[in-house]
Amino acid sequence: MQAIVATDKPIDKVSVATLEWGYTNFYRYRWAGRADAAAAAGNDSWLMMDQVGTDAGSEKDTEDWVAVTKVELPIGTSEFTGGSSSFTVPSWAPGSSDALARWSARVTIERGGRDIDARADFTVVIGTDDLQVTDAPPLRTGGDGDTELDIVVPSLVFRAGETVSGSVVLTPRKDMSDAELGIYWCWNRSSHPLVRTPAAGGGGKSGQTIKLGKGIPLRDGTPITVPFAVPLPGDAPPTGEAVHSSLTWFLEASMMYSKWTQGIEKVRRQIVVVNAP
Amino acid sequence: MTAVPPPAPGEPPPPQRGLTREEHGRDVSAAQAEAEAETSTGMKMLKSMSLRFVLSQAEGYPVVIKQFLQFCLILIYPAWVFGILAMAAIYYAILLPGYYVLLAVGWVVFWPLRMQQKKKNPEEYEEYRKKYWRR
Repeated sequence: MQAIVATDKPIDKVSVATLEWGYTNFYRYRWAGRADAAAAAGNDSWLMMDQVGTDAGSEKDTEDWVAVTKVELPIGTSEFTGGSSSFTVPSWAPGSSDALARWSARVTIERGGRDIDARADFTVVIGTDDLQVTDAPPLRTGGDGDTELDIVVPSLVFRAGETVSGSVVLTPRKDMSDAELGIYWCWNRSSHPLVRTPAAGGGGKSGQTIKLGKGIPLRDGTPITVPFAVPLPGDAPPTGEAVHSSLTWFLEASMMYSKWTQGIEKVRRQIVVVNAP
Repeated sequence: MTAVPPPAPGEPPPPQRGLTREEHGRDVSAAQAEAEAETSTGMKMLKSMSLRFVLSQAEGYPVVIKQFLQFCLILIYPAWVFGILAMAAIYYAILLPGYYVLLAVGWVVFWPLRMQQKKKNPEEYEEYRKKYWRR
């Protein structure tokens, strides 16, 4: 990648001119006080929900610049007339998205007088071949596990806009009532700032539940396989890890027993989403 | 699952990432951490009665807001001390004696059951006694 810095007319009284390659990292942080302060105790209670003076609004979205490479641009006799620099996007680079990172080349000119700051953005796309993925077992996020849910997918890496076709395997551990099954995609952003206090959650998004079946019989010793097709959104932010936050993708299957006392079962399986066309 | 890209030679190393809330542990001020580290309820109350503890509740807020909050905390400090004293009074006058009274009543009420257990399963009884009864 090549960046050319051009000026309409020479800039005078320049002391330093730097060009930085890097990304603006989006994340959530806690700005208001210590999260576990005694004065904040009880804020999360059911009684205090939505009340003035509680914890609502203590976290907010922000962004920080992460410099990857810094280049000093040549200045003549304290006069800047332009310059250029080239950059190779590193293999660990998080892909561009509104949720995680905006890549840019940024020029800062320090001078006697008003400093100058300019930037030009570019998009980093992550391809299927840019990753080495190791599988993780599916994680139960709800329910008692009376029926084991397994989400089987043909591969672990998917492109944005692609349809994920796979199957959910239901293995009842004992005789249960009939089940209603659905599946949806979701991504989560976790917040891990270097300096600031991290927010408890970083935000995320989930797709509409796709209904897979109703009245599925669950009898001990008869596992059932239900096929599914989940279309991923075309503008899906790619999986990635940045300095202050990271983004993770899941498929989550949600099952409800017809007998309401038996509750629900929820299992999520991590997948990787890339954004190269 | 981790998505690890293959390492490429001659590129800058990935910058250090920060820690999540879970990885950080409890987010409290030094004064509060000291009070929480006490094992006895009395010492916990005594330590949380200090002005340092109360002022530290405004820690982590941006400048100006923090000072304003500390000003407010000083205003309510007498009420805070009174509140903790009231809590201590309730604890030592009602809760703590109440606990021992309940224990004693339970002891008497479950006497026959315990004796029966002692006769039927002497080993289990002895094990339980060693595990839970304080000398």
